[in-house]
Amino acid sequence: MVLVLDRVSKSFPGVRALKDASITLQAGEVHALMGENGAGKSTLIKIITGVHRQDSGTMTMDGEEVQLSSPREAIKRGISAVHQERNLIPRFSVAENILLEQLPLKHGLVDFAEANRIARGHLARIGLDIDPSEEVRHLSVAQMQMIEIAKALSHEAKVLLLDEPTASLTSDEAETLFRLVRQLREQGAAILFVSHKIEEVMSLCDRVTVLRDGETTLSGVPMAEMTRERLIEAMIGRAEREAPKRTGAADSGQVKLELRQVATATGHRDISFRLMRGEILGLYGLVGAGRTELARAILGKDRITGGEMLIDGKAVRIRSVEEAIRKYRIGYVSEDRKYEGVILAHPIRTNIAVTVWNRIAGALGWITAGKEVEAGTPLAKRLEIRTPSLNQLVGNLSGGNQQKVSLAKWLAANVDILLIDEPTVGIDIKAKGYIHELVNELADGGMSILLISSDMPEMVALADRILVMRDFAIVDEFANDRRYDVASRRIMSAIHAGREVSEAV
Amino acid sequence: MKSLFDHAIRLQWSGILVAVILGGVALAFVNPQFMTEFNWFVMLRSICVSLLVAFSQMVMLAVGQMNLSVGALGGLVAIIVGGLMDAWGVPTLPAIVIALAAGGLAGLLNGWLTVRTGINGFIVTLATASAFLGINTGVTRAIPFYNLPAEFVAFGNGRIGLFPYLLIVPLIVTILLAIFFARTRQGRYLLAVGGNSHAAQLSGISVNRAIVTAHVISGLAAAAAGILAVAQLGSAQPTIGSDWLLISFAAPIIGGASLAGGSISIIGTVIAVLLIGLIQNAMVLLAVDPYWVTFLLGALILAAVWINRYRAVRLGED
Repeated sequence: MVLVLDRVSKSFPGVRALKDASITLQAGEVHALMGENGAGKSTLIKIITGVHRQDSGTMTMDGEEVQLSSPREAIKRGISAVHQERNLIPRFSVAENILLEQLPLKHGLVDFAEANRIARGHLARIGLDIDPSEEVRHLSVAQMQMIEIAKALSHEAKVLLLDEPTASLTSDEAETLFRLVRQLREQGAAILFVSHKIEEVMSLCDRVTVLRDGETTLSGVPMAEMTRERLIEAMIGRAEREAPKRTGAADSGQVKLELRQVATATGHRDISFRLMRGEILGLYGLVGAGRTELARAILGKDRITGGEMLIDGKAVRIRSVEEAIRKYRIGYVSEDRKYEGVILAHPIRTNIAVTVWNRIAGALGWITAGKEVEAGTPLAKRLEIRTPSLNQLVGNLSGGNQQKVSLAKWLAANVDILLIDEPTVGIDIKAKGYIHELVNELADGGMSILLISSDMPEMVALADRILVMRDFAIVDEFANDRRYDVASRRIMSAIHAGREVSEAV
Repeated sequence: MKSLFDHAIRLQWSGILVAVILGGVALAFVNPQFMTEFNWFVMLRSICVSLLVAFSQMVMLAVGQMNLSVGALGGLVAIIVGGLMDAWGVPTLPAIVIALAAGGLAGLLNGWLTVRTGINGFIVTLATASAFLGINTGVTRAIPFYNLPAEFVAFGNGRIGLFPYLLIVPLIVTILLAIFFARTRQGRYLLAVGGNSHAAQLSGISVNRAIVTAHVISGLAAAAAGILAVAQLGSAQPTIGSDWLLISFAAPIIGGASLAGGSISIIGTVIAVLLIGLIQNAMVLLAVDPYWVTFLLGALILAAVWINRYRAVRLGED
């Protein structure tokens, strides 16, 4: 055993990210780490790479217990990671990026010829034919990924973490990466391979560990004993919550918003769907599938380059978010609550009233605190935002209450269409339940809701119909009868390419 | 031919070099006085201080930070070197060394405060700028030091042909900085931190150390500028440095430095300072109100940043 994590737990304010999670890595194996978004994979990776420290449980390397306090220490111990975000310096050469903190010197000056020579060796080792003096910003994403692996290996890594390495690669590029991973395994490295893609994991990895809600549901099971179905089962589990029932009729027969073969500047192609009045339309997909970008395009933040968008049957072209709100009454609850949803340093009243300032403004555009409180109070009551006063700063509220404020401003604005992006990420169960009820209520009241979520139970509980998105295209659409097993299997198989699972059920 | 052109527009400073050459030629035609040896001496001498001021800020831009105290720091060093020689009778060389050390120390203070308190360097240097200026005017009561050693003043005004003696200082600093950023580990670390501080940190580079180093070099460069300004004026004026801030940003940015950090051009900065010197010279020769120079400089910064932005988008390098 090269690396063992035994019953590791980690909490963040309001969330238990890991509960007694365990994983063992052996030399010469490729070990898959899987789980849904928010299952605790990133936290586990951050503990292994010394970014976070566990609250309890032990980490052992080569039989010796270790406490890592920084990424640097992890590197020294022989643990290197290639993170999802690129960690290269764009204007530096390939050689310099690989050898950054260990540049060779000659007479006290950096010896670039020698650096290029050493780097060429590291590149050759992973079979990469790139000029080491080339600037990194001129390379392709796949090449940058390889450079990061070369960099990790230059530290004599015994443990190599690859976090979603194929997320931005074409299948040919991914194949090259897999050859490299297999070759490193032959050389005795222990590789932790984090991925959402079941096919590549099943063909590449030797064993698999699965996390769900911070717990290990599969621990180091040999891949030979696994099937697709078992993996999916381990990742998504069963529906644990009672789905709140809609009272109103979902099918009003009135099309509120329609997209016809829409293409966008961010890369969507051929997106078509209809959102009815009073309907909750779910948009499911993995991180990076293009859901948030689609919401941004509808809002006029990103450009629509093809096809057409209709509101109430009339073709529209929305040029700015302001126009979306004022003219077409479209609201957007951002997934990034802290940066796009609320203004933390401002009081609740301002945050709620911001969308209606033009309505409550008096002569000369004068807006009083009293007017804001007046506009905000009924909403705060209705949403049960727990606070002694609407003058309280939003930054002092819990995540759940912040999210309620973020929703309240759209209730104040009285929008017809609401795009809700990951409404319950990082908030506690109770507030989550409340927000679910609220979303149902809004739809019952006639609002059309496009719900973006990676939370499978949430999606199945709330959505009337579900669109599944992958690689900036819609790959499946079906009416949701709120049976968790059926819906989750259908979604998972749509995401993981091919429909064979749903047909098998 | 096309590839030569392609190569040229890829160089950040190609555009301003063309501007300098065209401007110079035009000026020579319009005003014959431009081509006199004395005019060139005056122009080159005015460039010496500007170049050091520009370097002082360029080093900060390299690491992805800013130093708003460039002028106040240089001004303080100017009256320190003047005061040492006039009021205390310290010989020229030791006075210069002490004044330089004071500048380096002030830079160290800027850096230490930034990394230690975690307060934005913008605010830290805004505060220390005010503090340095306060010490300056508090000590001098706004009265300059006039009694400076003859050889010091002579150095500030002497020339060989059209080249002022003073030019030797920025020349040496240019070469040292070029080597520092191109060939020393610490110099590369500064650029790495400016380019992607997160990646630099994950590679085991100390971000704090890089920031402090940049501040010390910035302080030294500003100090050298202050001392040169005293030599050039022949007196230690408490107002030295008060008009440096604009030019400190203007030159590196016109020269192609990125405000986001990690990307600077030493040649670009030098050419930008030449361009600014040329504009100032032209305004004098054509008897234009000096306040318009300030206006033109502002317009030039906007134009330069806009062109860089346009090129970055065109080349898909942003």
